[in-house]
Amino acid sequence: MSLLKLNEATIRFGGLIAVNKVSFELKKGDLFGLIGPNGAGKTTCFNLITGVYKPTDGQILFDGKDITGTPSNKIANLGISRTFQNIRLFKALSVLENVIVGGFLRNNTGLLSSLAYLPGAINETEEMKQEALRLLDVLNLRQVANVRSADLSYGMQRRLEIARAMATKPKLLLLDEPAAGMNPQEKEELNVMVKKIRDEHGMTVLLIEHDMRFVMSLCENIVVLDHGEEIAQGPPAAIRNDPKVIAAYLGEAV
Amino acid sequence: MFWPKRIGSGIAAIAVCFLIDSITHHSFGSYEQRIIALVGIYVTLAVSLNLINGITGQFSIGHAAFYQVGAYLAGFISRRYITDAGHTPPPVLWLIGMILVAAAGASIAGFIVGLPSLRLKGDYLAIVTLGFGEIIRILVQNTDALGGSYALDKIPKIQEIWLIWLLAFICIAVCRNLLKTARGLTFLAVREDEIASSAMGVNVTRVKVTAFVLGSAFAGAAGALLAHYEGLITPATFTMDVSFIILTMVVLGGTGSITGSVVSAIFLSYLPEYLRTLKGGDGQPLVVSGTAVVAALIVTVLAVAAIKTVLNRHLFTPQKRGLIYVGIIIGAAMLEPLFSLLLHPVPMLANMQVAAAQLRMVIFAVTLIVLMLLRPQGVFAHHEFSWDWVKKILGKGPVPSTEVSA
Repeated sequence: MSLLKLNEATIRFGGLIAVNKVSFELKKGDLFGLIGPNGAGKTTCFNLITGVYKPTDGQILFDGKDITGTPSNKIANLGISRTFQNIRLFKALSVLENVIVGGFLRNNTGLLSSLAYLPGAINETEEMKQEALRLLDVLNLRQVANVRSADLSYGMQRRLEIARAMATKPKLLLLDEPAAGMNPQEKEELNVMVKKIRDEHGMTVLLIEHDMRFVMSLCENIVVLDHGEEIAQGPPAAIRNDPKVIAAYLGEAV
Repeated sequence: MFWPKRIGSGIAAIAVCFLIDSITHHSFGSYEQRIIALVGIYVTLAVSLNLINGITGQFSIGHAAFYQVGAYLAGFISRRYITDAGHTPPPVLWLIGMILVAAAGASIAGFIVGLPSLRLKGDYLAIVTLGFGEIIRILVQNTDALGGSYALDKIPKIQEIWLIWLLAFICIAVCRNLLKTARGLTFLAVREDEIASSAMGVNVTRVKVTAFVLGSAFAGAAGALLAHYEGLITPATFTMDVSFIILTMVVLGGTGSITGSVVSAIFLSYLPEYLRTLKGGDGQPLVVSGTAVVAALIVTVLAVAAIKTVLNRHLFTPQKRGLIYVGIIIGAAMLEPLFSLLLHPVPMLANMQVAAAQLRMVIFAVTLIVLMLLRPQGVFAHHEFSWDWVKKILGKGPVPSTEVSA
């Protein structure tokens, strides 16, 4: 069944139509790619899905519910989590603390319990810590758990963004250029990791990426945007030979 | 094991407060007692502002307004009920009641200011809080029932230093507790990045309003204690300067560090009073010559510049750096008489005699400038006091463990 459905989603910023009537549909368990040249509207698409922007037109359905215009934090609670293209970690916090914040949306104890440091809050914090440590194992970050996140290498910061997003236990994980700035070996490892996230953690993944080899080898389905418009959709083999896609990336033949 | 331990530490805290109280009463005169009371109040104010400014990252510079709301609310009720109507409730219980009323009143004020203005960020929020502070002060100044610009007087004096310090301890404990739990991390997360926080499901507005309400409640409670300690409050006690002094305490201590706020609140509220009491060799208030003052300022500036230059050129170990600081400061102190001598021919300076007490705000300002130049991240930066830390400094501590602390 469909997990996420964009129905002619559109957003205008003044005279600029950043995303124009984009429609696509993700099924549960998909590994979906969103590609396009710079400025095509990919990240804006993510911002529409996660409620950073409200679409001017069209709808976004998640799990059968209309989430158009729902605030970010509520969307996270419904089960969509994301990473950011321009890394947005909580810089002064440690790696572990970053992941704990991601897990906090499932907390049950109240503010007073925290302020008085009652057993409820203490135990819950301890549980969140353990859960966060398990996630750090998955993303191979356990050994830097206590390092300030701003001090990590670029590749590690990207992985931490994924760990933090996974900590919210989302049904749908949006990865915005997860491989940017990584070397070939790191990319290879990431490829395996993303597959694992889908297969072992049961999350549906939608990712934006510029590295074509990475996307083609990982995703089962791809949507291509150009100038805010959807120009192609299909499995990697079809996308690779699509004349419109080639034109968008390389320019038209003269 | 949880409750006995918790109750034990509660009793210990109260015992310490009583100890402070009895030492203060037995060994000091009323002037020193008042300083100790005011220091306690400033600790509460600085730590509560740190919750808003340092921990949650909301740049508020109107903290004196919440302090004032609490002080006037408690002062007004007490005057009406005790002084005017002649009731005589048990003083300590009444004061505790007034603290709670003031905290509630100030937190409502915090909520009212917080909700609409927390959509603003950085400078804009600062301007709104600044404006709110002035509005409250001017409102009070023009309300005759509250004493207008003269004072709200005849507030029954209930001078309980132990309650003042207990409030400070509770304020510290609440902030510390919050930071030890996962919920506290969401406050820090909001400070670090609002968009990412809300993408992780954190309700950013709620976190900010919570911080504002809690911080204002403590400021209001401190206000109630001040009103009953002084017996008289005037709008001049709650000017913008006070907001800025509290803000300075937070920044100087290291934004976000509770330890830093406490230490710099004690230091900055005591320093001007200490300078006021400086005596010369003859037991009279100390008088210094203009040349000495100007020489001291020149030396300070040179010393700071020298330290900055040395440190920018070389990266020393912290121990060596400490030695360099000390060396330069001693060297500068030795240069001071030389400058004095050189400046002596300037008649205007040589003839000027200044009471040291009058220079206290100048020295206060210079101290701040020097500290901020040398350590812009604040004295404690983001560090907190812990017993492991003490052991480490004493050289007996275990190697910093890699155990996770969240």
